[in-house]
Amino acid sequence: MVLSQRIHEAFKGTVERITAPRTVSAFKEKGVLSVSEFILAGDNLVSKCPTWSWESGEPSKRKSYLPAEKQFLITRNVPCLRRAASIEEEYEGAGGEVLVDNEDNDGWLATHGKPKDKLDDDDNLPSMEALEISMNSNVHQSISNHFGGEEEEDIPDMAEYEESNSLIEADPATLQPTYLVAHEPDDDNILRTRTYDVSITYDKYYQTPRVWLTGYDESRMLLQPELVLEDVSQDHARKTVTIEDHPHLPGKHASIHPCRHGAVMKKIIDVLVSRGVEPEVDK
Amino acid sequence: MANQQAGSILQFAPFQSAVDEGFWHRLSSLKLNKLGIDDSPIPITGFYAPCTHSQVSNHLTLLMESLPSDSDEESSVTATSHGNRNRCSVPGTLYNTNTLESFRAIDRESLLKEEAKKIWEDIHSGKAIDDSAVLSRFVLISFADLKKWNFHYSVAFPALVLNPPATLVDLRPASQWFSSQEAEAVRAACNEWRNSSATADEPFFLVSIDSNSNSTIRHLKDWEAFQNDCQKLLFGFYDPCHLQNNPGWPLRNFLALIFSRWNLKSVHFFCYRENRGFADMGLSLVGEALITVPQGRAAEIGDHQCVPNAVGWELNKQRKVYRCISLAKSMDPTRLAISAA
Repeated sequence: MVLSQRIHEAFKGTVERITAPRTVSAFKEKGVLSVSEFILAGDNLVSKCPTWSWESGEPSKRKSYLPAEKQFLITRNVPCLRRAASIEEEYEGAGGEVLVDNEDNDGWLATHGKPKDKLDDDDNLPSMEALEISMNSNVHQSISNHFGGEEEEDIPDMAEYEESNSLIEADPATLQPTYLVAHEPDDDNILRTRTYDVSITYDKYYQTPRVWLTGYDESRMLLQPELVLEDVSQDHARKTVTIEDHPHLPGKHASIHPCRHGAVMKKIIDVLVSRGVEPEVDK
Repeated sequence: MANQQAGSILQFAPFQSAVDEGFWHRLSSLKLNKLGIDDSPIPITGFYAPCTHSQVSNHLTLLMESLPSDSDEESSVTATSHGNRNRCSVPGTLYNTNTLESFRAIDRESLLKEEAKKIWEDIHSGKAIDDSAVLSRFVLISFADLKKWNFHYSVAFPALVLNPPATLVDLRPASQWFSSQEAEAVRAACNEWRNSSATADEPFFLVSIDSNSNSTIRHLKDWEAFQNDCQKLLFGFYDPCHLQNNPGWPLRNFLALIFSRWNLKSVHFFCYRENRGFADMGLSLVGEALITVPQGRAAEIGDHQCVPNAVGWELNKQRKVYRCISLAKSMDPTRLAISAA
């Protein structure tokens, strides 16, 4: 972590400690959310998109201004099947970001615009701000398990067991793994299906929700957070999207920095107001 | 049915595991603060949910909350996670060894048999009917190398093997198997089951349809009361698998239960799957399986001393059993200090 980021975090931490959480709504004026509005919006997301749920995270990291069982929101196992490069082309072709105000998107910005129907990404994944959650690998090598370790060649494996009547490979009722990958869009590369856990936390300093990404490779091994950045448009990697400590979970995770969130939400709200729609936090 | 012919052996897609970083963090702190060199088995909890996407299967997830807390104060949280529809609890056992050598020396075959025996006994004692999640019991073996922050592990999902294997009579999307009225009724009943915190994490259940196309979902223990008063009765389960031609792994032990408890030879099963968190009859499957027992072996099935063979060690893409993950980047204090400087 760079020094300036450290200093900023220390500063932010101090401000968070001494300022009281926002209790009065400034959603319409500034595009920010109070704690209770965050919970309201979260409850709404959970009921409309039940793949999301509230979690309490690590007890030691619990925030006292949030209910213990509603510390943050998470949806697990969001697949990504397409390659970033191909999405990028379509994305440019479709004019980039568009504002979506249907209820499932919670008034956030859909970055994929019109080619949405071609995308395999879940669109119940509310994308925020200018992040292309294209979640695809654009580099072949990136998808191999860089988390180190790998399999050690000298380990005696199941195949070496002689008395092998419990071998899954020898069992006629087990679907063998080759079939499992046959569902991939193309057969040339079976490595493309990464999955992501997407979580939303409340950032008390910016008074906004904040989105975090945790990636897994195709064999469901954790992806190093740096590799997640390769799935994000290079315009945003390390600027809007950074790697930091998750406020409720152990380890480093990629996150969309919340500093512009308020301003962007304000823009969205203004559009809604200009259309005569009264914006509410749970919409 | 593309690759499964009627009359062919019913093939199940293996369960996959996904171990979250939080799991290894908590295991490390447990090991350092509480367990020490005690390597006795630890009861853990895995979580799963029905498949929610047409292109990717769900897995059995191991999270921080899968392990007991090292501070003993957090029992309230495990209570709140009960009823979470995205986290159906599955009991498992962790065997964490103290050295890489002892990890490699674990006799996985007998471990698998031991766990399969627990499932078999739960089927015969009726425990599996009261608490059906025990059917998906799993084993995790690991070695946590806290000097290098490497975690070696392997997961097994023991499945009782039917001999001879069940054959498939029919397998179709539920929307094709049911009439449209029935499909709508089943869909509504499933959503209700999933939305109630009392039943949301109950992964095995009964689906009944009466002559007026009304559908109800019931608990397994209602089978006796239930079998005579409905037109169609299906055995439903939360299917983590996304494939259109194969049911997922949890059905294996469910079939063993159905066969040995209720002695059914022909079983209609319902692979319950969702799309974005809601019941989807196009993705869900209905199938019919035939279970046959050769003459003279019928007695064995009733005999709970005679545990069937089991399979289930998970293979990774290199078709190896062992996995290893290095978390030095996020756990090694020296590295963290350097990157922070």
